[in-house]
Amino acid sequence: MAIAHGEKILKYLEENGKANSLRLSELWNEDHQKIVGTVKSLLCLGDVIEAELHSTVKWDLTEEGKQVTTHGSHEAQVYNAIPPSGSTQTEIMTQASILNAGFTKDMAKVGFSKAMSLGWIAVDKSSGAPKFIQKVSSIQDVVQEHLKELASGKNMLTNELRTEYKKRKLIQEIIVKSYEMKPGSSFSTSVTKQETDLTPEMITSGSWKTKEFKAYNLNALGTPVPRGHLHPLMKVRAEFRQIFLEMGFTEMPTNNYVESSFWNFDALFQPQQHPARDAHDTFFLADPATASDIPTDYMERVKNVHSHGGYGSQGYGYDWKVEEAKKNLLRTHTTAVSARMLYALAQGGFKPAKYFSIDRVFRNETLDATHLAEFHQIEGVIADYGLTLGNLIGVLYEFFRKLGIEKLRFKPAYNPYTEPSMEIFSYHPGLKKWVEIGNSGIFRPEMLLPMGLPEDVSVLAWGLSLERPTMIKYGYDNIRDLVGPKVNMQMVADNPLCRLDKHRGTEIKEPDYLQELDIRMDSILTRLRGIENEVSKLKKKDKGSPEKLTLVIEADPNYPPLSVQTLIRILMASRNAPVSVTIHQHSSLKKACSADLMQWAKSTISNVSRVDNLFNLTWIWKPVGPRPVAKVVNHYNGDICGETAVARLLARILESWTDCAFYENYDLNTTAEIDDWLDMWENCIQSGDPNFVVLINHIYNRLNCSDGRKWLTGVLPGTKSLADVFLSTVLGHKLNSDRAKEWLSRCNSF
Amino acid sequence: MPTISINRDLLFSALGKCYSEEEFDELCFKFGIELDEVTSDKLIILKEQGTERSEGASEEVIYKIDIPANRYDLLCLEGLVQGLQVFLGETGFPPFKVIPSQTVPQRLIVKSSTCSIRPYAVAAVLRNIHFDQNTFNSFIDLQDKLHQNLCRKRSLVAIGTHDLDTVQGPFYYEALSPDSIKFQPLNQTKEFTASQLMDLYATDSHLRHYLPIIKDSPVYPVIKDSNGVVLSMPPIINGEHSKITLKTRNVFIECTATDLTKASIVLDTLVCMFSRYCQDQFTVEICEIETSQGGIKNYPILKTRQEKIDVNKINRMVGINEQADKVADLLTRMCLTATVAGNGCLSVTIPPTRHDIIHACDVYEDVAIAFGYNNIEKTLPSTNTIAAQFPLNKLSDQLRDQLAQAGFTEALTFSLCSKEDISDKLRKPLSSIPAVHVSNPKTLEFQVARSTLLPGLLKTIAANRKLPLPLKFFEVSDVVLKDKQRDVGARNCRKLCLVYYNKSPGFELVHGLLDRLMQLLEIPLDPTGTTGYSLKACDDATFFPGRCAHVVFAGATVGVLGVLHPEVVTSFDLNLPCSALELNVEPFL
Repeated sequence: MAIAHGEKILKYLEENGKANSLRLSELWNEDHQKIVGTVKSLLCLGDVIEAELHSTVKWDLTEEGKQVTTHGSHEAQVYNAIPPSGSTQTEIMTQASILNAGFTKDMAKVGFSKAMSLGWIAVDKSSGAPKFIQKVSSIQDVVQEHLKELASGKNMLTNELRTEYKKRKLIQEIIVKSYEMKPGSSFSTSVTKQETDLTPEMITSGSWKTKEFKAYNLNALGTPVPRGHLHPLMKVRAEFRQIFLEMGFTEMPTNNYVESSFWNFDALFQPQQHPARDAHDTFFLADPATASDIPTDYMERVKNVHSHGGYGSQGYGYDWKVEEAKKNLLRTHTTAVSARMLYALAQGGFKPAKYFSIDRVFRNETLDATHLAEFHQIEGVIADYGLTLGNLIGVLYEFFRKLGIEKLRFKPAYNPYTEPSMEIFSYHPGLKKWVEIGNSGIFRPEMLLPMGLPEDVSVLAWGLSLERPTMIKYGYDNIRDLVGPKVNMQMVADNPLCRLDKHRGTEIKEPDYLQELDIRMDSILTRLRGIENEVSKLKKKDKGSPEKLTLVIEADPNYPPLSVQTLIRILMASRNAPVSVTIHQHSSLKKACSADLMQWAKSTISNVSRVDNLFNLTWIWKPVGPRPVAKVVNHYNGDICGETAVARLLARILESWTDCAFYENYDLNTTAEIDDWLDMWENCIQSGDPNFVVLINHIYNRLNCSDGRKWLTGVLPGTKSLADVFLSTVLGHKLNSDRAKEWLSRCNSF
Repeated sequence: MPTISINRDLLFSALGKCYSEEEFDELCFKFGIELDEVTSDKLIILKEQGTERSEGASEEVIYKIDIPANRYDLLCLEGLVQGLQVFLGETGFPPFKVIPSQTVPQRLIVKSSTCSIRPYAVAAVLRNIHFDQNTFNSFIDLQDKLHQNLCRKRSLVAIGTHDLDTVQGPFYYEALSPDSIKFQPLNQTKEFTASQLMDLYATDSHLRHYLPIIKDSPVYPVIKDSNGVVLSMPPIINGEHSKITLKTRNVFIECTATDLTKASIVLDTLVCMFSRYCQDQFTVEICEIETSQGGIKNYPILKTRQEKIDVNKINRMVGINEQADKVADLLTRMCLTATVAGNGCLSVTIPPTRHDIIHACDVYEDVAIAFGYNNIEKTLPSTNTIAAQFPLNKLSDQLRDQLAQAGFTEALTFSLCSKEDISDKLRKPLSSIPAVHVSNPKTLEFQVARSTLLPGLLKTIAANRKLPLPLKFFEVSDVVLKDKQRDVGARNCRKLCLVYYNKSPGFELVHGLLDRLMQLLEIPLDPTGTTGYSLKACDDATFFPGRCAHVVFAGATVGVLGVLHPEVVTSFDLNLPCSALELNVEPFL
């Protein structure tokens, strides 16, 4: 059937080039859904046809609407059921349902009210009981006409009418999905039936050669495979076990949950009043309540070291009781097993050993989302001669590296049986903070020596829980979702492989930009240091006897270059030789300079002839704007423009004359810092941006605050430099001269 | 680990420096304490009692700091500041001194009647002390912290502090019958007998915890002055009469104890922390204790110990290579004043505040802390060993892999369970089971160690009934059984257990899996039961009659399999047939 239809469609397509499913359904008077089904099956054949899905909105009659087209609107049916003499409502109802069996009470209600409001019928109360009568002799049933039109495919309804008829539930909006088809790339008019899958018969008969096979839907999921699974926690355990084995650690026999207080606490030099030995924290046993057999000599040594000390220890100085030691409990840590192993190691003649275990331990704790009464402890132990705390740190780095954890840090901690003790923290890139991931330490001599271990043997140990890294790894926040009989086994089934060294989920490893930057920084610094050395060598070479300097500086009295003036003062003071400064004002000045401006360097003018002076300065006040100009006679070609440039020049001269560090005599970092400041000051002087005023104010206040920074550059509290001297100019220009003077007085003392 | 609450501003003003939270956290980390929480009174009340109650509470920042359990000297602001300042090298360690009395030393006479209840007492006097509100609060807080930690909730040591000017020595420490002790206790307006006090405090949220220490004793300890005024009834309450106030100038401190060493440590700690507020700073006045044997001992001891420590040994233990003088500096920063003593040794002074230093290794640790754990060079030990797996674990893991490959999913259930789980629910009397019983479980779930893995797996099924059938779970783990042969009277036993839960029992499937396991273990089927394995029909109350068999291997029963008894099924809230196999793994090693 489908094939027959299919071929019919293909033929049509061949003839017409394109087809629409709706059109075909009308043309062939066939149910549209059937045509659509055929189109879909044609589509499965590959590229025989191409089809595009179209949705169109269409108004159609409801069942009630269809009734109206045959029997008239509700109001007309009511009107028609009234005899000329009129009759009661009940009688009309009966009559109406004789005329149309599908006429319901609800329809009648609508009909009555519509007919009344149209003025077709009226109520007559003259003869007692109310009667309905026809008020007009004939009616025109517009509603029926409209619906008939709609049914015939014309759609002339106004929006209002459409809304009204929709409200009256006579018409409805339907969405018609249709296919627009055209021939595909492998178009053909004949259809062969496609096989779903290969069968044994096809293989035997060879019919597979001629058959066509239906394509697989590769976007659907496959069928779930029946399978078994290992528990996620045990998968993480396997990974830890593997790591220990890779590192050469031997597994300890930890299959003894019941332990005596002696091995669990006393042997570890944990005093008998220690809070961990409280019933609040530890499960003690009612049956078997006590241990029978503790090695007598060893127990005596343990008793002594607790109560009186020995082995270089003060002991705890309390009355040690064997009854307390014999109390049985569920072990609170696997270290109890480590103690037994170390004791055995001492008895058999000590040999270096590395042990590990991963097994259950018990705490009588209050349960919550992260605590259970039992959990798995991971423990590593190394016993050898001459082990150091540095060894422990080194081993922990290697151990955690195998877990994909690179960043560690260690916090001093307290543990009764280790000294030194360290809590291990790792940086969690997901949580962006340091989290505690374990405990570690070197076992105390008070624990090891009574066992009979040689005095120079140290034992390193560390421990962590198995559950915590597993919860972090797989993103659980409630431990009861992971362990215990209430666990959802679907979780077990869905759990991925455990690859601890591979980051996933919340642990996505961020590229270590910092480290990259560090490396780049280091290489840059090394290069800079090389350059620095060369520079200082060159400087030394350069330093002969100071040369004569003759300078002409032009500056604007409206923008006094305070920094240049200060530097010149310093230069003059640094030279124990005669100097000469003359100050002039240029004729182009509109206003005469004040006495202050004319005499700022007068006090230092010598009487010696200029020819013999080592430093001669001619200072000319001239309207040059904020950028003063310097000329070095006989030295440099060209003018030096701008205050920073002049200041740099003067600073270099100062540094070549004296050994003081002021600008380039500092290390390169500081010099770079000074240059940064100078660049900013230059910007600042030239810019009109009011934000600079705020900034300068802020900087100035910071420098005058008591928290330690006194100067702009260098490490706290900073070192005085060119940048500071230059600040005075900026203060003068941008804030006020008082500030500038205050600051200058601080800078002047060299 | 005790946590102390310190007002941040007071702390910083005492340290003479303001830190940002990160800076202070970093300092704490290096020093080995932990800034646990930053809060305020207001926040605390807000959290515990809601917005209304928190109105008007102080918003001053409080630092909650975790202190290692052995550093009693850091349990108050005074000690913490001293420790940090010395650590930062900003100040030296003060010399604590016991001074004689200007007149007659105070004497505390311990009567032999105390032997049966709380036999030791020590005492000291802080003379001409000046408290302000903050230091007074700190003094009270420190006593509380010591009570909670070192004093083991007052059971080992109880501290009483008194205004010496309100009482008249010598003092008597004795034990009397509860009804013959009558006094006005702290913060009460009338007198009570000791028995009445027990009733009064039975509902007191703070004090009721200490009542059991003496409640059932025929005699209660009490300290009186020479006029019979009751100073305290340790370890419960002090008397109102001798209560200390801000105005108190001379403080009489007594500690009663069941552990004399700890009492002396508590006394030393308390006087060292607060003698700084005495007119004659860092001094404490001696007290004479007349022991019940009649001898006289002087307290506080405030013993300063000298230890000779080999610098090489320190370097070797820590893994650093520092000169003696540098190591001495490091130790001095940890309040252990050290000087180079020649012969490659340091002379280390252990002050009375550092009772935690009981061995050279404690000194090594302080060197390492001062050097900075994170500055120590990482090295790998040269220890060369060949690894080995514990054979039983290796076998268990191999079997687990096989069970998962056979389509079963691993459950991980608890080792502890209720008595009912292993007896009634499995239709067996508890007396027949060699189970290990816990004496102090907090809930019914932890009454016994499991003797079988079955209940855990059945509970796992119950929690997973919504998953599609069949449910196939297994566990390979330890159960615990009583065993007189062992030193502790019990042993673990490695078991393998699996359950199959479906609309039909699936006995043949479980049976098939057993055959498969035996095939993997290279054990042949041997109905004679001498060398290989065989099944022998048996009666086991847990299983449906006629649907149960023992697994016999080399002549011994090593396991059981069968269809569970319907009553077992329903007692675990299940309603479908279930077969199970439980096998002892150890014989197959």
